[in-house]
Amino acid sequence: MADEQNPYTQHYVVKKGDTLSKIAGEFYGDPLLYPKIFEANRDILTDPNRIKPGQKLRIP
Amino acid sequence: MFKRSLLITAVAMLAIAGCASQKGPATKAIADAEAAISAFKDDAARLLPDDLAKLETTLTGMKDNFAKGDYKAVVAASPDLWSKVAALRDATAAKKAEWEAATAAAKEKWTGYATDLPKMVDAIQSRVDILGKARRLPRNVSKEAFDNAKTGLDWMKTQWAAANDAFNSGDAIDAASKAQAVKDKGDEVLKLLGLAPSA
Repeated sequence: MADEQNPYTQHYVVKKGDTLSKIAGEFYGDPLLYPKIFEANRDILTDPNRIKPGQKLRIP
Repeated sequence: MFKRSLLITAVAMLAIAGCASQKGPATKAIADAEAAISAFKDDAARLLPDDLAKLETTLTGMKDNFAKGDYKAVVAASPDLWSKVAALRDATAAKKAEWEAATAAAKEKWTGYATDLPKMVDAIQSRVDILGKARRLPRNVSKEAFDNAKTGLDWMKTQWAAANDAFNSGDAIDAASKAQAVKDKGDEVLKLLGLAPSA
């Protein structure tokens, strides 16, 4: 990931009940932009519909 | 009458002879001063240009007197010129030491900026690009804040390029100053976008 070592990239720790769409809505104002988060976290996510509480996601 | 004319002529001859005897010391005084100034002239021109200009004006005045044959005036002014030369030489050396210390400090800071600021710009660019595609902005980012963030990002990129140009042309002090301005603007833009650096 290009922003792997970027101290300015925002992070978010997944909570119970979260979805990528919900997180995208929170950070971007638009749930449809969830693929941006998925692509930035391909090293820990294999399926955008499967995220686990405690996972630390990069929010580009 | 003849005696008086003879006396005047004799006095004039003595005066001319006396003045002519000052030509050698006058020549040497000017040559020595020019040599002394040339040893620090480049640094003085860069660091204390006004002071150098004043000294050169004094030297030019002495040369004018020399050209008029007033060697006595040249010799008489020599101690004052030397004192000014010594003062400017010392002031230039002190200023140069100060400049070298500031340059070394700026280079050290630059190393951090060169690593940090491109990442800051990338992170902001990424968020601006993504928010630019959003159907609406997140709750913590107003349209005005987003517009200001975009303007700020453009300014950061321009200023960062200018900082790199300054550094590459050897002016680390100016480069570090510009880089700090980019960092300050970046901190402001991060806040506008609701971004906080990771701990």
